[in-house]
Amino acid sequence: MKKKLLAVTLAAAMTVSLTACGSSGTAGGGAAAGGVSITIFNSKIEVQAQFEEMAKEYSEATGVNVEVYYSNDTVAAHLATKYSSNDPYTLSMVDAKDVYSLAEDHAADLTGEKWVEKTNYAISIGDRVVGFPVCVEARGLIYNADAIEAVTGEKFNPEDYATLDAFQGLLEKLAAGGMETPTGIMKEDWSLAGHFLSEIYEMQDDVDGFITALHGGTADLANNAKWNGKMDYFDTMMKYNYAAASAIAAEREVSEQKLAEGEIAFMFGGNWDWSMINAYDHSDNMGIMPVPENTSDGTNKKLVGGGSKYFFIDSSENTSDEQRQAAKDFLNWLVFDEAGNSFLTEKCALVPAYSNIAAAGLDPLSVSVKSYADAGNLIDNYNYLPDDHFSLCGAAFQKYLAGQTDRAGLASEIEKYWSSTTPVEH
Amino acid sequence: MKTNTMSYKCRQFLMFAGVTTAVFVAVVIVPFLYGIYLTLTSWDGVSKQKPFVGLANYVATFSDGAYWQAMGRTFLYSVIAVILVNVVAFILAFLVTSGVKGQNFFRAGFFTPNLIGGIVLGYIWKFVFNRAFVALGNTFSVGALSTSWLATTGGAMLCLIIVSVWQYAGYMMLIYVAGFMSVSEDVLEAARIDGCTDSQSIVYVSVPLMASSFVQCLFLTVTRCFMVYDVNLSLTNGEPFNSSVMAAMHVYNQAFTYKNFGVGQAEALVLFVVCAVVGVLQVYIGKKGEVSA
Repeated sequence: MKKKLLAVTLAAAMTVSLTACGSSGTAGGGAAAGGVSITIFNSKIEVQAQFEEMAKEYSEATGVNVEVYYSNDTVAAHLATKYSSNDPYTLSMVDAKDVYSLAEDHAADLTGEKWVEKTNYAISIGDRVVGFPVCVEARGLIYNADAIEAVTGEKFNPEDYATLDAFQGLLEKLAAGGMETPTGIMKEDWSLAGHFLSEIYEMQDDVDGFITALHGGTADLANNAKWNGKMDYFDTMMKYNYAAASAIAAEREVSEQKLAEGEIAFMFGGNWDWSMINAYDHSDNMGIMPVPENTSDGTNKKLVGGGSKYFFIDSSENTSDEQRQAAKDFLNWLVFDEAGNSFLTEKCALVPAYSNIAAAGLDPLSVSVKSYADAGNLIDNYNYLPDDHFSLCGAAFQKYLAGQTDRAGLASEIEKYWSSTTPVEH
Repeated sequence: MKTNTMSYKCRQFLMFAGVTTAVFVAVVIVPFLYGIYLTLTSWDGVSKQKPFVGLANYVATFSDGAYWQAMGRTFLYSVIAVILVNVVAFILAFLVTSGVKGQNFFRAGFFTPNLIGGIVLGYIWKFVFNRAFVALGNTFSVGALSTSWLATTGGAMLCLIIVSVWQYAGYMMLIYVAGFMSVSEDVLEAARIDGCTDSQSIVYVSVPLMASSFVQCLFLTVTRCFMVYDVNLSLTNGEPFNSSVMAAMHVYNQAFTYKNFGVGQAEALVLFVVCAVVGVLQVYIGKKGEVSA
């Protein structure tokens, strides 16, 4: 009998402790009943600390409780989990392509918001504005001017090297002057196919038409002027690559460090690379220039880029109207409040996507991007590449980088990929 | 109290296994059945609609060349890794039970790699293959080491196998050690008196008596190798040119990166069936070989 009593007491104790956990959980969720509480999903790891700090300050200033989350899972995979557990974020920061796949079902209509007219980069689906651009990012050739000037003894002026001939001349000069291997190439598939190869599509006169032709198998890549122009550039980069012997074993960290410290002078990338360059003993005299090409169509005077990372607001019934309003207020705060502006440009060092925000204190790469963007010299991103494009075409491109296939072989692999892929509706 | 009534048995079951059964159903059985349902839809992972497409995903699975290539690669990797893991583990187990000085220290040492998570392990070895080996190769001008093994297709697979052996051998060694210890001293002594040499007593006495260790170790290594993902991700991430993508990684990419959730799920199910068949078959054959002293 005594034993039975003990057992019952123990069981009761356990149940109590379990319920205790449960109730404290609810208490945590309901604590914000006084003010509205919103959640933000951040997908830029390099600004997570800044976001957390901002959330605290924003909560104190406005009474809206803000919580910021980050996940190093793929954005789409992470949000899929949140949506299937009916626990979506109020605001989610995603890539442009995710807006297109998520917005129809999950994004609230932001048409008529004040910030819409201040930007060229908002994403609309049908007649609804759904994506709030967080920043502008662009791709091009990153250079280290200090490193170049140290060898040539002359001031480096990127506009002088828009053509491949001029660029090759400079590389020869650098090699002769002691910097034998002045370039680096990122071997990551997202860089090769997602960023570089896609420039070949994005710089066509009619991008959509070209993609349709690729799907139909009628685009003759091998005889395409843009393809050959860009591949001539790529061959030049390969010739002077510091890691030419084992190009596909080159680690991104090492290449970025060499570029930052001036051991090499050029590498294809984007202004997001600053977050890595920043980690080393870097030169401040750096920037991004257009990819050199022997052409007269003007694309060798422009970077490729545009809005990057978009906020959308959840439209499901898991988010209340007050929360949605608080989220909209937050977006307006980013664009129209001085504290919001300084958070975007100074704390996070992002190139603003809004014409009313003056950006001071940007990093050197972002300064380049902003000057190209302000002058209208950005070629738009193509946001409708199939999800497996970077991986499958990236693998083909890596073979080329490793010398296991030639230009014709790469062209036919890419054509094969496109003709066997279903077009992305848009 | 009657102990053979149905209600008594039910109560007994619920008392001892009720909670675990409920949890097992909730986190394994239900998701598994739901997963099977998802293979019949063309869901993209986030959309609200889950359009029913019948067996189209299975058709896609069987015509997905990259998947079967990954499967073949996984087979090859598993066969080599399983053999090497077990051979190395057996030899280690023999050495640390043979009474060498400091054998407990060695046991702990060989087991340690298993305590490091697969992801961390992958990054550590990536550094070793990409930097340490290359630096050694350049210093001592060893041609085979002067470029990173991870940059070649065969080399990347070799690296995966080396890391897996290093990771699992210590763990399997523990099971073999238990096997060696379970062989009774009397039997071994009897064998010696009958004139067995040391190697004969291992081959004809110890090994048959520890057959259950072999079955366990093989089962564990086969299933682990087949489902390898973490080391694959952090060590090679499929590179170079997607030539080291194993089946599990292909399934993940298909579902989450390429957003073909239905096809990915169907491929995962096929992978599960293949694993289950191989695992059960191997245990069945292994059990037949077991003897008792």
